[in-house]
Amino acid sequence: MEDNFFYAPNYKGSKDYSQWDVPTANATGFGAAADDYAERGIDLNEQLIKNKPATFFMRVNSDAMIDAGIHNGDVVIVDRSLEAKNAKVVIAVLDGEMLIRRLEINEGKKRLLPATKKLSPIEVNNSNAFSIWGVVTYVIHSL
Amino acid sequence: MKAIVDCNSFYCSCERVFQQHLEGKPVIVLSNNDGCIISRTDEAKSLGVGMASPYFKAKDIIETNKINVFSSNYNLYGDFSRRVMDTLKHLVGNNNVEVYSVDEAFLDFTNFKSNFFDFALSIRKTVEQWTGIAVSIGVAPTKTLAKLANNIAKKNKHTSNCVTVLDSNEVIIEALKQTNVRELWGVGNQFASKLTSLGIVSAWDVYNMSEEWVRRHLGGVIGIRLLKELHGEESIFMDKELINKKMITTTRMFGSPITELKDIKEALATYTARAAEKLRRQHSAASVINVFVVPKTENASGSFSRVPSVGAHTILSNPTVLTHELIKAAMVLGERIYQPGKSYKKAGVILSGLVPDSSIQSNLFESPGKNIGRFLMEMMDNINFSMRNDVVKFASTGIKRNWKMRQAFHSPRYTTRWEELYEVR
Repeated sequence: MEDNFFYAPNYKGSKDYSQWDVPTANATGFGAAADDYAERGIDLNEQLIKNKPATFFMRVNSDAMIDAGIHNGDVVIVDRSLEAKNAKVVIAVLDGEMLIRRLEINEGKKRLLPATKKLSPIEVNNSNAFSIWGVVTYVIHSL
Repeated sequence: MKAIVDCNSFYCSCERVFQQHLEGKPVIVLSNNDGCIISRTDEAKSLGVGMASPYFKAKDIIETNKINVFSSNYNLYGDFSRRVMDTLKHLVGNNNVEVYSVDEAFLDFTNFKSNFFDFALSIRKTVEQWTGIAVSIGVAPTKTLAKLANNIAKKNKHTSNCVTVLDSNEVIIEALKQTNVRELWGVGNQFASKLTSLGIVSAWDVYNMSEEWVRRHLGGVIGIRLLKELHGEESIFMDKELINKKMITTTRMFGSPITELKDIKEALATYTARAAEKLRRQHSAASVINVFVVPKTENASGSFSRVPSVGAHTILSNPTVLTHELIKAAMVLGERIYQPGKSYKKAGVILSGLVPDSSIQSNLFESPGKNIGRFLMEMMDNINFSMRNDVVKFASTGIKRNWKMRQAFHSPRYTTRWEELYEVR
């Protein structure tokens, strides 16, 4: 992919994988039977991050979305390049505050819905300063 | 056609992405050691906060107007810079982006024939959507004119929508007339004052001078190139990204002046270690190490006149990548330049005489132990890069580090530290 000059962690991801990484690929003789099927392995970066410059991580600091499986302390992956459609979980900015809620667009009217009975939906009208910061794509929950 | 993309109040913009309540508010960012103001939002500008002015001088304006202050968070800014540049590369192709500084890039629009204004506007919107950073774009036949266009876009953000395209002679001439010589790319304050005294006040005035005049009064070839570019003839060409530096420096001001030799040596050891990391990152080895310290002068005026520095250098017997060898040399040099009784406010290390790392690997005179040293460096770098707080460090670089610089208003490293993620409710 790109050469990550400034970040060179030990694990470079599986994209650098080449035939030389297969220890049993033996040029001179018979290699192991599995050689022909050597694959580069599963890479979470590749699976979970589709658009790197637009992808950010945040930590959830409330129970507002607990019924949606997003718990206090979880990390969410947020993509700013995705379109905020109805029913998507988004990071919304309301009067300067950032909130994680489910977006509802109903006949042009927008609401921010929590996933808990303890909070009520928020109606977005013209008097609020409202914008979408990004769309939540994955939640990482530690057990 | 060329374009220049320039982020608006870049450092401040980075701070605002995760602090949305600061949109539309006055914000400033301070330099290393919270010394002077290096970035201001438009709101802070209009309150009279000057660029590059010392922080302490602006404290009254800041308090009266509740201006939000941040210490520089270079980890954050570097990360956002990369995002902006990667987005641009995605939009116009890797080969058409020349990264000029942390917040500016030139784009080559030669292969794009569509409506330049619409294209630039879509780039601006995409960068802001994806990264949260607002940019201004100037489009024109040459880099110098593009920069000129960009200035115009920035000065009239509401009407320009942050995009200005100069695609016809009439429009170019109009732009030249409204641009002061001081704002021309490559014309510094010195030349600007000289030109103004000769009656040359606008870019249009420069445009109308002859090549001979320009050669004589604007620094020879540089002046001619400027003139040609103003006339739409490209004379400054797209460079390939400068990947490898020819000299590596690490210098920092101290949080408070220090007087003890052991503290100076600790600081020098730390800067040497940092410089050595940068050295290895670009696969170079250094053969010259230069160390300097800046003593406090009697008339501390707080201005930016040239301060005396005391330095010394050593040419190493063999080029090296090993931190401990460089630190050893730095310690000897530090002892040599230190004078008891003086208090020091800044120090630095410069590595030069760089050669490719691979050239020293098969040195007949190298002892067998060297390879282990290099292996150890690589392990250390891997650990430190991934955790980035000098988890593994040399004892000589100090444990407490009392000389570390002031950063009273540092925001979290939201995008580079797992432990410092933004907490959303």
